[in-house]
Amino acid sequence: MSTTTVDKKTAVGATVEFKALRRSFGVTTALDGLDLTINPGELVALLGPSGCGKTTALRILAGFESHDSGQVLVDGEDITGVPAHRRDAGMVFQSYSLFPHLSAADNVAFGLRMRGAGKAERRRRAQELLELVGLPQHADRYPHQLSGGQQQRIALARALALQPRVLLLDEPLSALDAKVRLNLRDEIRRLQQELGITTLFVTHDQEEALSMADRVAVLRAGRLEQCATPSELYARPATAFVAEFVGTMSRIPCVRSGDSVVLLGRPFAVDGTLPYDGELDVLVRPENVGLTASATGPALVVSASFLGSVTRLTVRLADGTEVKADLPTEAAAALPIGSNAELTLPDRPVLVDRRTA
Amino acid sequence: MAQLISRLRLWRGLVLLLAGVYFLVPMGASVWFSLDTNHGIDFAAYTGLLSAPGFTDSLVLTLELAAVTVVVLLLLLVPALIAVRLGSPRLRAVLEVVCTLPLVVPPVALTAGLIGVLRWGPDYLMDTPFFQTMVFIQDPKFPLVLVIAYVLMSLPLAYRALDAGLRAVDVRTLVEAARNCGASWPRAVLTVVLPNLRGALLNASFLTLALVLGEFTASSILGYQPFAVWIYTVGNSQGQMSVAVSVLSLLITWVLLLLLSTAGRERRRNTTTH
Amino acid sequence: MTTAPTPVPTPAATEMISGGAGVRTATPVPRKRVRSLRRLGGSWLATVPLLLFFLVGFGLPAVAIVVGAFTASSDAEAGAGEFTTANLTDSVQGAYQTALWSSVKLSALTALLATLIGLPIAQAVVTSRFRALREAVLTASGVLANFGGLPLAFAFVATLGNAGEITEMFDLTDHGWSLYSFTGLTVVYLYFLVPLMVLTVTPALDGLRVQWREAAQNNRATGFQYWRHVALPILFPSLLGGFVLLFGSAFAAYATAAAMVGATVPLISRSIADALSGNVLVGQGNLALALSLDMILVAVLVMAVYLPLQRRSARWLS
Repeated sequence: MSTTTVDKKTAVGATVEFKALRRSFGVTTALDGLDLTINPGELVALLGPSGCGKTTALRILAGFESHDSGQVLVDGEDITGVPAHRRDAGMVFQSYSLFPHLSAADNVAFGLRMRGAGKAERRRRAQELLELVGLPQHADRYPHQLSGGQQQRIALARALALQPRVLLLDEPLSALDAKVRLNLRDEIRRLQQELGITTLFVTHDQEEALSMADRVAVLRAGRLEQCATPSELYARPATAFVAEFVGTMSRIPCVRSGDSVVLLGRPFAVDGTLPYDGELDVLVRPENVGLTASATGPALVVSASFLGSVTRLTVRLADGTEVKADLPTEAAAALPIGSNAELTLPDRPVLVDRRTA
Repeated sequence: MAQLISRLRLWRGLVLLLAGVYFLVPMGASVWFSLDTNHGIDFAAYTGLLSAPGFTDSLVLTLELAAVTVVVLLLLLVPALIAVRLGSPRLRAVLEVVCTLPLVVPPVALTAGLIGVLRWGPDYLMDTPFFQTMVFIQDPKFPLVLVIAYVLMSLPLAYRALDAGLRAVDVRTLVEAARNCGASWPRAVLTVVLPNLRGALLNASFLTLALVLGEFTASSILGYQPFAVWIYTVGNSQGQMSVAVSVLSLLITWVLLLLLSTAGRERRRNTTTH
Repeated sequence: MTTAPTPVPTPAATEMISGGAGVRTATPVPRKRVRSLRRLGGSWLATVPLLLFFLVGFGLPAVAIVVGAFTASSDAEAGAGEFTTANLTDSVQGAYQTALWSSVKLSALTALLATLIGLPIAQAVVTSRFRALREAVLTASGVLANFGGLPLAFAFVATLGNAGEITEMFDLTDHGWSLYSFTGLTVVYLYFLVPLMVLTVTPALDGLRVQWREAAQNNRATGFQYWRHVALPILFPSLLGGFVLLFGSAFAAYATAAAMVGATVPLISRSIADALSGNVLVGQGNLALALSLDMILVAVLVMAVYLPLQRRSARWLS
């Protein structure tokens, strides 16, 4: 399976650019000036809550949706007027996209048939692609005879059959079982890297986005919040929205003090200038919060959930603020529910944000 | 893109227009036919309807037949279908066959078969209960034999309507939940399952009603005079009146069905919005 | 048609067909055997009335048809009540052969035309943005297809009959038009068969997924290629199933033809009705039953084709 016969030199990815892309459906605005560039061979995940416009962006690129203004460029060429069936982009849909009346091999070879390729060529090419996705023995099965995971593999093979310059994945894993999802995740990533194809991957699952993508673009209300590598996104979120959407965050009220803030009686330096007027919160990740048992400590342990090697404790401060802290499970054993603890924070808070109600 | 969309709309409009003309012209022409007389427009065909001989009798007979058919059909079918949902799948296959088989026997053939059975009562059985039963079901005041025929004819339609309704609700879980809350078997079915089937029950009843209202084959061959046969008979002497009744009955049935489906949609919307 | 029940959903429940005959049963849970046994007993009890009714109401006539078809009539000159195949032989000869054949011809032609006409109408209705239009067309189809037989015939007599409004308006009779001819009957039959087709194929069209069209486009298919290679093949079982169903309906129709008094086209359903009212030669009293058996055989063939097709399309389109 690792020895692929797919012709790699033609499968080199393209550059995809969205420029000030706008699209509204009636009163709702799906895309509100999206700017995003995807480099050749890169896998970019479009991440965001439902309704943030990520699927719309993908469908505009595929040609299934039109945009009101802005540009979509593939290798510098504006593809606005190109109909969907002439765009060089293979797409994998969320589910149920296989043609039910065709066998797996015929599904894969469908595009070749549309192009007028001969029977022998279609058969050979379908077999290659089925091997590529690990299902060579399923060529003659029909979609209803395949599991959900197998169906999506076939759909992936079909999307790759015409060696498109761009691969579009529209939540291809969301309808699958957890275990199958993990498998297919690695598989898609491996294939994508092997073929070096530019890939746009739409998902609402942050874990999926962080584990698969070269870069993750977080969308909110039709705009790009941040596009960065997974580690950067996690460690240095550009906005509070990104910080809270990706990973877990606790909000702790703090007091402004010149260019820094005071939190739990201790001053903290802030990166850059304080962004807002008014009352402020500090955002911290659970793994950056430390707890030590102390009968006079300000934090009361209110709940604990076991996550394996770490245990996530929730403590309540005097003003009612709840803070989450991840402790090694052995250390957490010393802090039963109802006990008091001393709270330690990292030197620099991740982010400071205007306080929310 | 816009061009494509407008081309699509044009095509759709054209198809619907042609279909509309084809289906509305006979209706319009019929209305005209029923009003048009030598001395101008006359509503006699409509106003004279109620006083026309046989009209009320046949309509009442048909409505009675329809009511009894609906009741018998639901009493037979609903318990069986619910029980089968809760019980063995093998029985379900049997029911499906039973409810599909009547499709294989056209109404004319069913009628022929019924007549064949009714002729089995030879004279020497005159005094037996069998013969009396035969006479009873052929009573012209209320021919039960027609009810039997109608129940059989509407069995496939009603089965599908009810089965679709049952498919939408998880009967087993509903009953188990109700039993878990302390309801007895009959209570669980009456208070939990049936209310959830209201749409399907209405649907099945209405289809049966429409079928009985328009039924002509069995009743005419067996020699009874319900509504459809009356229309036919009146057509021989008063053409305008028969056309008037035809158009009226088509329209009334359509409006009723439209109301029913709108009500059904409202209900569905209400149940899905939370 | 007539009052022949058709396995077609009302518009109010169009989901019926797509889910139709696919026997999807929940796996029985093995736990608590005693309870499930009691349940099984309960199910049997609740199905007994229906099964009994069916055995008597349907079984007896069915037996009567089969036995009668193979028995010499009581008014036969000799051998009354004895086994014979003469009824069946007679039922496919002479005038009856003509009637059977013209019934089959009329049914096949009208079913084919209705299939071809019904598909674009259904597609126009399905893709329409107006919910009310869809509702109105589907309910109207339900009425015309299930209730319409006799009223429809009268409407056509008033429209295109010898004294019909349209006939007189355009002097159609002078142009050789007759409602009572084969062509005339075809026009009338289409009036209930096209709606029946619309009802039958609508759930299938609803079942065509947007993803299929998009996946096809994504794989370089033009609109035409999508219909040619994806939509029509997927719809094929439904269309063929619909055709077969329409054939069955047209074949069974009696009221329409009966109401158009004077129609010159011989039809098997009318032959049976005639035979039942004693309108046969002496000694052929059981001929109606033999003719009925012929009709049932054709209907069985129709169903044998229809049910598997319907099952397949349910699997594809559910």
